[in-house]
Amino acid sequence: MIERWALISGLKGDLDTYELIQKDLKKTPGNITLFVLGDMIGPEKNCNKLLHRLINPKSNDLQPWCIYGWWEEQILLESGYRGNQRAEALRINKGEEVVKSLINAVDKSFLDWIAALQFGFVELDCGLIHGSSKDVGDDLTLDTPPLTLLDRLTRLQVNRLFTARSTQQFHLELTEGILNSEVHDLTGNHKKEQKVPQKAVIGVGAGKNYTLYDVGTDNTQFVRAGYQSEKKKNGFGLHF
Amino acid sequence: MNQAVISCLHANLPAVEAVLKDIELQGITNITCLGDLVGYGPQPNEVIELIKEKKIATCQGCWDEDVVDGLDACDCSYPSQIAERRGHFAHQWTTEKLTKENKDFLANLPYSIRKDECLFVHGSPNSQHEYLLPDMDAFAALERVENAKAEILFCGHTHQPYIRELANGSISVKVKNSGSKDIQKKEMNLPMRRIVNAGSVGEPRHGGTKATYVVYNDITNDVKIREVEYDIELTCKAIINAGLPPIFAWRLKNGFEFAERAEDASHFCER
Ligand SMILES: [Zn+2]
Ligand SMILES: [Zn+2]
Repeated sequence: MIERWALISGLKGDLDTYELIQKDLKKTPGNITLFVLGDMIGPEKNCNKLLHRLINPKSNDLQPWCIYGWWEEQILLESGYRGNQRAEALRINKGEEVVKSLINAVDKSFLDWIAALQFGFVELDCGLIHGSSKDVGDDLTLDTPPLTLLDRLTRLQVNRLFTARSTQQFHLELTEGILNSEVHDLTGNHKKEQKVPQKAVIGVGAGKNYTLYDVGTDNTQFVRAGYQSEKKKNGFGLHF
Repeated sequence: MNQAVISCLHANLPAVEAVLKDIELQGITNITCLGDLVGYGPQPNEVIELIKEKKIATCQGCWDEDVVDGLDACDCSYPSQIAERRGHFAHQWTTEKLTKENKDFLANLPYSIRKDECLFVHGSPNSQHEYLLPDMDAFAALERVENAKAEILFCGHTHQPYIRELANGSISVKVKNSGSKDIQKKEMNLPMRRIVNAGSVGEPRHGGTKATYVVYNDITNDVKIREVEYDIELTCKAIINAGLPPIFAWRLKNGFEFAERAEDASHFCER
């Protein structure tokens, strides 16, 4: 059976969207693994029901594999899980009200579960992470300089990086790269030509927009939750 | 004009004095220091006071930061638990020895210094703790310089002096699955950039026992690595008398590095 990953992020407490995606995935062919790349929580909605569902999946749910995202990092900071640091960046950018809303949106009983989440997964030669290995808030987009993208791939030692922080959906391939390096030290001169093998950075989207990845063919499909009912209109299936 | 860049003095006063003398003999007055004034060595206060007296522009090193803020280096940067314990011991010894005034001086050092197209940092523009090794992935190395908007990046921290030129680079990218019919493809040329590692005055790890630093000519763009002899015995005696781990003295005398080894920048720390 075809192995396929479903990559979602930015649910921010939206259980309805999560249920819609679960429904989609039941109808999607293949052996599907579901990855939730962070931002399960947010300040806009009460997140307890979604968190409860992620921790205790219904018997016919696909098991979600979760990592933490930027909003999880903010609540952990603010709740004292990062030593003396608090969510100052959030406070400065969005104000005290948003900090309060975030704290109120998540029951304290979920904090230990959030704190135990992993920073990212490495599967095959792919890195799955909320921002990047540099920072959970690293906002990678199509416009990020290719050198920066290469750096983020190198840090994780992967060929493909799935990222969610920007909320955008994109599949950027770094097809070719070459760079000459000459090092002079006390032992002499050392010249090297470095080439990059083909690598890619994939933005998985957020909320209703998520990504299906076909592991065997390296194809991505950008999907909007509820797509099954719209699939004829959009011509879904062409990429598989 | 020639300018000197020194780094990683590590409380080794005889080495610092010898290097400053060597710089003076060349008639160079413009000196930049890339930090790590303290740590490992026996004369932290004396070295700080000399740098203050000479009014040498200095950025904050990893040891300077840690002595002020508490240990920050991820433990995985030590190759063994023994090395880690030794490092922690030296850290504590230094913290106790430093005067309040000198601690304040270290605390207020800037992370980086910018002069025209040159950027001076201790480890990398990202962190005082990141090692830019000479064989680091060339693209990642170029990214450090480019992202910092510099043409030449001066760094230390690895204790190995080198000059690295990154040139004739290009990257091609393709947007796959963009929704639009045309596959967007573009090729971009990468700029030529240099990384200069100033080595170490007080704790050399390049194989030899001499203190190292670099001289940069901002007109010809030439960089030279200098090696300077100093009275190693004097420092070794002071290390033993101070009760610091004898291996620190042994290391200086033999020019070997068995303790803290540099990690590649791609090393992934989740701290
Ligand atoms: Zn150093
Ligand atoms: Zn250092």
